[in-house]
Amino acid sequence: MPPRRFLPLLLLGLLAAPGLRAQDPALKDTFLQAKALWATQGDRDGATARFESVVAALAPRAATLDAAGTQMLCESYNWLAVLDDRNPATKARALTRLQALLDLNPDFDVDRTLTSQRLIGQFERLRSEKLAQVKLSYDPPGGTLTVDGRATPALARKFLPFGTHKLVYARPGHTPAEAAVELGPRDVKSVDFKLTRVSSTITFYVQPSGAEVFLDGRSLGRAQGVAGAEALDVAIPAGLRPEDLSAGFVLDGLKPGKHELELRAPCFRTKRLEIAASFTTPMADHVLQVVRLEPSKGTLSVASAWPGGELFLDGQDRGPLPIQKLPVCAGTYDLLVRFPSGGFAQRLTVAEGGAVSLEARPKPRLALLGLEGDQAFTGRDRLLALLQKLGDRLQQVTFLAPRPGEAPRAALDRLRAAHEAELFLTAVPVPDQVIHRVELVLSTADGETEQTLVQPLEEDPLGPLVARLNAPLPLQTRGIDATLLDLPGQPGPWVLAASEAAQKAGLQLQKPIVQVEGQPVTDAAALRRALGAKDRVTLSQGGAPVTLPVQQEPLELPLASNALAYPAVLAQLRLQYLGAKGDEAGLLKLDIGLALMHFHRYDKAIEVLRDAHVGATLGVSQGTLDYETGLCFLRLGSAYHSEAAQAFRQALKYPQATLFGPDGPLVAPLARQALEDLK
Amino acid sequence: MSAASPWLRPAAVLVLCALPGAAQEGEFAAKLFQSGERAYADQAYKEALETWNQLLQSAPRSEFAPRVLLLLARYQVEVAKKPEAAMPYLDRLRTEYIKSPWAAEGLLLRGTLLARQARRPADLKDAMAEFHRVIDLFPDQPAVAGAHLELGRAWRDQGQWGSALQHFVFAYRLHPDGPSAPQALLEAAETLDLTGDLPGCLRLLQRVRTEFPRSPAAQEATWRMAVRVKLRITKPPLRLEGPWPAGRVKWLKTPILLAPASSGDLFLFQNDQDHAFRLKDGDLAPVGPPATGTRALVPTPGDGLWLLTRGTLLKEDGTSSPLGTLNAITGGRLDRWGNLWVADARTPALTLFAPDGSSRALPSPVATALAPLPTGGVVLASDADRSLHFLDAEGQPRLTVPYGKDLPAAYKSVVALAADPLGHVAALVDGGDYGEGVVVYGPDGAVLRQATLRTLGLSGRFTSLALDRAGGVVLCDRRNDTLFRLD
Repeated sequence: MPPRRFLPLLLLGLLAAPGLRAQDPALKDTFLQAKALWATQGDRDGATARFESVVAALAPRAATLDAAGTQMLCESYNWLAVLDDRNPATKARALTRLQALLDLNPDFDVDRTLTSQRLIGQFERLRSEKLAQVKLSYDPPGGTLTVDGRATPALARKFLPFGTHKLVYARPGHTPAEAAVELGPRDVKSVDFKLTRVSSTITFYVQPSGAEVFLDGRSLGRAQGVAGAEALDVAIPAGLRPEDLSAGFVLDGLKPGKHELELRAPCFRTKRLEIAASFTTPMADHVLQVVRLEPSKGTLSVASAWPGGELFLDGQDRGPLPIQKLPVCAGTYDLLVRFPSGGFAQRLTVAEGGAVSLEARPKPRLALLGLEGDQAFTGRDRLLALLQKLGDRLQQVTFLAPRPGEAPRAALDRLRAAHEAELFLTAVPVPDQVIHRVELVLSTADGETEQTLVQPLEEDPLGPLVARLNAPLPLQTRGIDATLLDLPGQPGPWVLAASEAAQKAGLQLQKPIVQVEGQPVTDAAALRRALGAKDRVTLSQGGAPVTLPVQQEPLELPLASNALAYPAVLAQLRLQYLGAKGDEAGLLKLDIGLALMHFHRYDKAIEVLRDAHVGATLGVSQGTLDYETGLCFLRLGSAYHSEAAQAFRQALKYPQATLFGPDGPLVAPLARQALEDLK
Repeated sequence: MSAASPWLRPAAVLVLCALPGAAQEGEFAAKLFQSGERAYADQAYKEALETWNQLLQSAPRSEFAPRVLLLLARYQVEVAKKPEAAMPYLDRLRTEYIKSPWAAEGLLLRGTLLARQARRPADLKDAMAEFHRVIDLFPDQPAVAGAHLELGRAWRDQGQWGSALQHFVFAYRLHPDGPSAPQALLEAAETLDLTGDLPGCLRLLQRVRTEFPRSPAAQEATWRMAVRVKLRITKPPLRLEGPWPAGRVKWLKTPILLAPASSGDLFLFQNDQDHAFRLKDGDLAPVGPPATGTRALVPTPGDGLWLLTRGTLLKEDGTSSPLGTLNAITGGRLDRWGNLWVADARTPALTLFAPDGSSRALPSPVATALAPLPTGGVVLASDADRSLHFLDAEGQPRLTVPYGKDLPAAYKSVVALAADPLGHVAALVDGGDYGEGVVVYGPDGAVLRQATLRTLGLSGRFTSLALDRAGGVVLCDRRNDTLFRLD
C-alpha cells in the first residue's frame, strides 16, 4: 500500500496519543498576549515571562508536538532570543534560544522583521556550523518527501546535517524518485525530483468517516480521519463542511479497466460504485464527489413475562426489559437477556427498516464445571473436547463453558455465590485400577442431583445426556375434549365420551371419526398428530363436518422417566413459574412438586404444593394437586397423617380430577382409599 | 535383557506379590463372573453355575457375589422351573448382601415367589412385607415399580380393589417407561372396572394401546376394550353368524363341553371320543388323558386343563384325585390359591378342595351350572331358586339375579354358564315362557344381550357355551356335532 494510505491512520494515531492533541487554547492566549505586550506596550518583562511560560509548557514534549505547536514553540524561541538580546543582563542567553530553535526545526527561518541583523547573522552562523542547505524542486508538486526514511514537509529549501542523506519523493500514481546528497560545511546542493506517472489515482471523501473501503472485493483499509481545507471544493457542493468528511482516501495503482468500489460501515447501507474505465485511461488524478452512506437501521423490541431481564446485544448492555423499538443497526446480533435466574440467548438478524419483536423466555444456565481430578486415563482428552462442545448440542438450556484452569469446586462456589447458573455439570472419573468409566453429575443449585455413567471411549458418551437435556417437557397435550378409543374394525377413533360443547357442535357419541381436515384418520394417535398447532379442527364422522376448538389439556410431569434429566426439568419449571400466572402457575407448581417428589424431597414438594391453586376441576387440576400433597405428607411419616388426611379430603371434592392426564384414573377413588388406609 | 531372562522372573514374581490381595480377588471375581455370564448366554448352564459357585466360594466379598446369587436364583425359577430351589440363594442375598443394589431385585423375586406359594390371603403377609422392604430400602431402584405391581396383585387377590388400584398406579408412575409399566397400567384398568368405573377402565386401556403399542399388554387391552364396548355400551342384538369356525358343520364327535383357555383358545370335550381338545386356529389338538364321563372342564392359570369326571379330578399330566361323593358335577373352577371349587347338582353346597387334599363345603343353593369370575369368585345358577348367584372369592353372595329379570319372559333352567375374564356371564337357558336361548349378563347382573334360539333360527341340542375374545358366544350343539357362533 502506498505511504499515502497510511497517512490518515498515522494522523489518527497521532491525534489519539496522549499529549499530542491540539494546543491548549489558554497557552495560545498566553502566546498572543506576549506578542501584544511587546508590540503595543513595550512591556518586555511581561512579554518575556509569558513566552517563558509557553516554552516551559511545550519544550518538554517538543518531540511529540503537532505542526502548530512546533510553530508556536519556534516563534517563542525566536521572540525570547530577540528580547534577551536587547537586555544586557540576558544577552548571553539569546544564542541559547537560537540553538534551541535550530534543534527543534532546522528549516525554521527567524522573523527578519523582528530580529536584528546581528542576531540573524549569529543564527545563520550557528546553523552553518552543523547544517548545509539543499534546494529542492518537485514535479509534479503535492507529494511527500522523506529524508533518511522520516517524513518531512516537501519544502523548496531544507537544512540537513553534514553527511550523506537519502531523499525520497513520492506521489500517488507515480513512481517514487530517490536522491542521495552528501553535505559538508557551507555546501548548498540542489535536488530536482521529476516523477513518472504509472497509474490513475482517485481520491474520495466519505461521509461519515470510518467506512471500510473495498476495491474489487479486497479491503484497502478505512476512510477515516477528518478532511482538511483541501476538501472544501467537494464539501460545499454537497452542503457539508470538510470536518463532516473523512480524510481523503486515495486509490492508487489502479489498473486499466473497470473497477468496483464498495464502502461498508456499521449501521449504514453498503454503497457500491462502479469506476468506469475512463478513470484509469488515460492516466490522471481524479477527485470524486463526496460519497455519502445512507443510514441502515431497524428496531428491536424485547419483552418478557419473567421479571428482571436485562438486554445485551453483542455483549453490550442495552438496559432492562421491556425494550420498546430500540433503534439498532441492521445486521446480525448475539442477543442475550440475563434474568436473575436463567438466561435467554438467541442470534437474530435485524433487517434495514425492519422491526423485530421477541418474547424472551429464560432458559436454565448449565455451567460445565469440568473434569474432577487430574488422573490420566484413555479417552480423557476426547471426553473433555466433547464436553467443551456440549453447548452446540443443547437446545433447552444455555451453556456456560468453564473458565480455563478453574477447578470444578472453585467454579461451583463462584457460580453459586453469584447466582450465575441454575445447573451444574461435573465429570467425575470412577476410581478403578484402570479408569474406564466417568460419572456425569448433573445438579441444581439446590442440590437435586442425577448421575449418568459413561465410558470415555464409547461412540457418543454424551449422547444420552444430551437427549435427556433436550427432551421437551411433556406438560400439555392437545385434544378435542373427547375420549377416543381405538376399536378393532372401526375406520377411525371411536367417540366414547365428549364434552357438552363438543356434542353441541355436532360430535356424535359412539361413532368413529373418519376424517380430520378432509384427510382419513385411522386412530387416536393420528388424530392427535393431525391437530398440530391448530386452534380449531374440522372432523367428519361420515356426515356433516364438525368444527371443534382444539384444547390444551394439562399432563402431570412423569416421575422417573428415562427420557428426562430431572435436575434440568426442575430448573426449567422454576424459571417457567416465574413468568406464569393463574392456572398455568398453579399447574407449574404441581409439576415442580412432582419433580421434587422424583428426588424424594417431599418436604420441599409440600412447600410448593400447599400454596398452589388451580381453578380447573377437570382432568389434571386442583384435585390432582390436593392428592399429590396428601401423598407427600404420607411420605413424611405418621406425624403428618392428619395433614395427609386433610389433603385427601380436599381431593375428594373434585370428582372429575384425574392423575397423569385427561385420560388418567380418577383421583377420587385413590384419595378415598388413602383415607381408608389412614384410619 | 530378553523377556526370557532368568533375572526378570524373580522380579515379576515380586511385583505380583506386591499387588494388594483385595485387588487381585476383585479382578479374579470379575473374570469368573464374565466367564459364567458368557456360558449362561450360550445356555451352557452347568458350566455357568459351576463358575458362579466358584466365584461365591473364592470371592464372597466381591461386588459380583450378590449379583451371582440373584442370577442363580433366576436360573432356578426361569430355567430349571424349581422356584423352591431359588429360595436359599435369595435368603443369602437378603441376609448377607442387603446393602447391595442387587438385593432389591432379589427381595422382589423372593416376595414374588412367596406370593406364588400363598394358599390363602393370610399367606401373602410375608410376600407383601418383602415388597414393602424393596420400596423402603431401595426407593431409587427400578425394582420399586415391580414391588408396587406385586403389591397391587396381592391386594387384588384379597379383594381390596382400592388398594390394588393405588399400587398399580404407583407401579406405572414410578417407572413409566420401565418393563412393568404396560402391565401395571393394564391391571389398573382392569381394577377400575372391578370398582365400577367402566369409562376410567376404557380410558386406561386406550392409554396402554397408545403408550405401549407394541407390548403384549396393548394386545390384551385391545380385545378387552373392544369386548367391553360391544357388550356394555353398544350392545348390538345377538345374531347367528353360523357354524364356526369357518362354516364347518358336523365335524365333531358329540361335543358337550366348552371352556375358554387362559390364552384365549377354546377347550372342547367330545363325548364320543372321551377326550378334551384344544381348538386353536380351527384345528383340534388333544389335551390331557382320555376321560370317560367328563362333566366339567376347569381351565388352569398356566393355560392347562383339568377335567372333572364322576367323583374324580383328572389333571393334564394324567394324575387324578378323588372328589368324594360328588357324582353329579355341574361345574368347577380353580382359584388363585389353588382351591378347586366344585358344584354338584345333588349337593346343596359348593365343595372346595384345597391343594393339600383337604376339602370343605361352602353353603350355597344347589348349582346347576357354575362359571369363574375375575373377582376370584364364581357365578352359579340354581334352578331350585331360579336365580343366578354371584359369589365373591370367599364364597359370600354379592349379587342375586332372578331368572328372567329384565327379559321379556322368565326361563326355568340354566343349562350351562360361561364367563369371560372381564366378568361377563353368558347363560344357556331353557324352559318357561322364554324358552331356549342365550342371555349375556354384565358383572353387575344386568342383561346385556339376549336371544332365543328360535329367533336365532337355531335348532339342535345345545349343552354348553363360551364367550370369546371378540364379544361373541360360541354354542356347542351335540346333536349336529357342530359349533355355532353368535355375534
